[in-house]
Amino acid sequence: MAAAPVRDIRLDLFRGLALWFIFLDHIPTNIVSWLTVRNYGFSDATEIFVFISGYTAVIAYSRMLDQEGWPRTAARIYRRVWQLYVAHILLFVAFSAQIAWVSIARDTPALIEEMQLLGLGDNPYRAILEAALLKFRPVNLDVLPLYIVLLAAFPFVLPAVVRWPWAVIGVSLALYAATSRLNWNLPAYPDEKVWYFNPLAWQVVFHVGAACAVFGTGLSWLDRFRGTLTALAIAFLLFAAFIALSWHYNPLERLVPVWVARVIYPIDKTNIDILRFLHFLAIAWLVRLAVPIDAPALKWRIWEPLRRCGEASLLIFCIGTFLALSGQVVVSHYEDSILSQIVVSILGIAIMCVAAYIAAWFKRGNARAASRLPVTTGVPR
Amino acid sequence: MRRTIALLVAVLTLATGGAAHAKSMTLCRAKPEVLALGTTLPISRKAIAERKLLRIIALGSSTTAGYGVSNPAFAYPTQLRIGLEKALPGIDIEVINRGIGGQDVEEMAARMRTEMEDNPASLVIWQTGTNAAIRHMPLEKFDKTLRDGLKLGTSLGADFILMNLQYVPAVVAVADKEAYEKVMAGAAKDYSAGLFRRYDIMRGWYDDGMPYAQFVQLDGLHLNDFGQKCIGRLLTRSIVDALKAP
Repeated sequence: MAAAPVRDIRLDLFRGLALWFIFLDHIPTNIVSWLTVRNYGFSDATEIFVFISGYTAVIAYSRMLDQEGWPRTAARIYRRVWQLYVAHILLFVAFSAQIAWVSIARDTPALIEEMQLLGLGDNPYRAILEAALLKFRPVNLDVLPLYIVLLAAFPFVLPAVVRWPWAVIGVSLALYAATSRLNWNLPAYPDEKVWYFNPLAWQVVFHVGAACAVFGTGLSWLDRFRGTLTALAIAFLLFAAFIALSWHYNPLERLVPVWVARVIYPIDKTNIDILRFLHFLAIAWLVRLAVPIDAPALKWRIWEPLRRCGEASLLIFCIGTFLALSGQVVVSHYEDSILSQIVVSILGIAIMCVAAYIAAWFKRGNARAASRLPVTTGVPR
Repeated sequence: MRRTIALLVAVLTLATGGAAHAKSMTLCRAKPEVLALGTTLPISRKAIAERKLLRIIALGSSTTAGYGVSNPAFAYPTQLRIGLEKALPGIDIEVINRGIGGQDVEEMAARMRTEMEDNPASLVIWQTGTNAAIRHMPLEKFDKTLRDGLKLGTSLGADFILMNLQYVPAVVAVADKEAYEKVMAGAAKDYSAGLFRRYDIMRGWYDDGMPYAQFVQLDGLHLNDFGQKCIGRLLTRSIVDALKAP
């Protein structure tokens, strides 16, 4: 039986970073979102979040599968799915309530309509039903339903991926290819809408993340091709950065050959275009080299807020989404002034960090209380 | 510490001083001649004069559905309703959004009858062409399907406005995008439909030095918040001008 693995700090750190990015990117026109990854290439924080979610799912449940068997592990995973679902529904209610509150407080009933929760006004009863079925998701509430679907399938993926990670990658890639070719998607509400993040396509990021966790140090055979892979990754990132910057500067844009444009566009997000996925893999490869698991810099105090946010990812994701809406309201109230964008961004991240520290403090308290309890069973965990 | 804060405040004040913020709607412009629809919208005029009511169906694909905008109300159909309500006080304005992402001219022509019978409207805005162009639908087929749709639609008693392709990287990269545009212009003319020249309007933005990031989502295909709002505003202006023309 394997010894308890060291906690990979990188997972928390980069998940925290992804959560900050998601918050910043969800405030439209936010100048601070220039700091986020999406402006320098094809992929954005969603890929980071989903990949790390797949990776940590294996870390969290594979030992349990080993020691306690499949039924208990599956039950544990579904308990987590349930937590995600509850969090999503709570977020949906809080999100809608915030819009209602703002429009009542500012005496602008038009806001409810303007921020129309896409159908909640037309047919509230139906919309609530569809929200419970995850088919009705107001703007920005698309990530958690994706995660719920992926994790709900995970009890069936887990036993396969720990034994045959390559086979899982193969099946996952095949489903991804078929989905983008045949335009499969899950139904949404109102009718004919589809999932903004198509789970049938985005599963590829999650499952490649899961397989990488199974490989663990087994990935070191890739280091034989280290030079080539690094060169390829850097070249691809530079290409992506050039294209991304060309969207902001027309003289650069005119330098993009027509045949290149013909090949790359559109860079679909719903079905995660292959360019987005490759871009993420290139980043992941370079991060793996630049930040090894035992890098001393990982222990620096300055990263602690990021790590704390990453550790409490579900809580921080919900708070971030909620605050992004508040931020949107505030920023638009100040007519998109840059100062308001900066203040809202800093405040929002500060609130997320405070919440994360409180969550960590709370958890420590629980752990301490648990350790004070008399040991009733002889089986050490 | 205090000095750092003072410095920070100074920098922020400077930054906000020059805050000609990026997505300002003052950038939303078009030359008057590209806004002319080439129709007088007789059926809509009659509905406004006799019933104080203008009901519009926005038939289209992802632009109409508002794919990827940060607030569904930014999609051009809602913007059009808000704009028309302001421009035509006392008139009941209804805009029914029938945009379905990914649909092509064929699928829209096929649902034309049900859409119009479900919601009898005086004006149909038919946004199409982009998906046909990027999927390289044969031009003759595009032409025929479009004309069949227009023939059916106009026979059901509504004014029509065709909204043509968007000027975005994914469309610009298509070799014969202008051919699709021409087909739409020809069909509009033959069926006395209006033509909302989105392609030329947006090309004007680009030629004026506006970067794609200002009006296109990062996928290089869909209009972003600014693009949608501006198209909604310009379409409102086109329609109001057409209604008020002698």
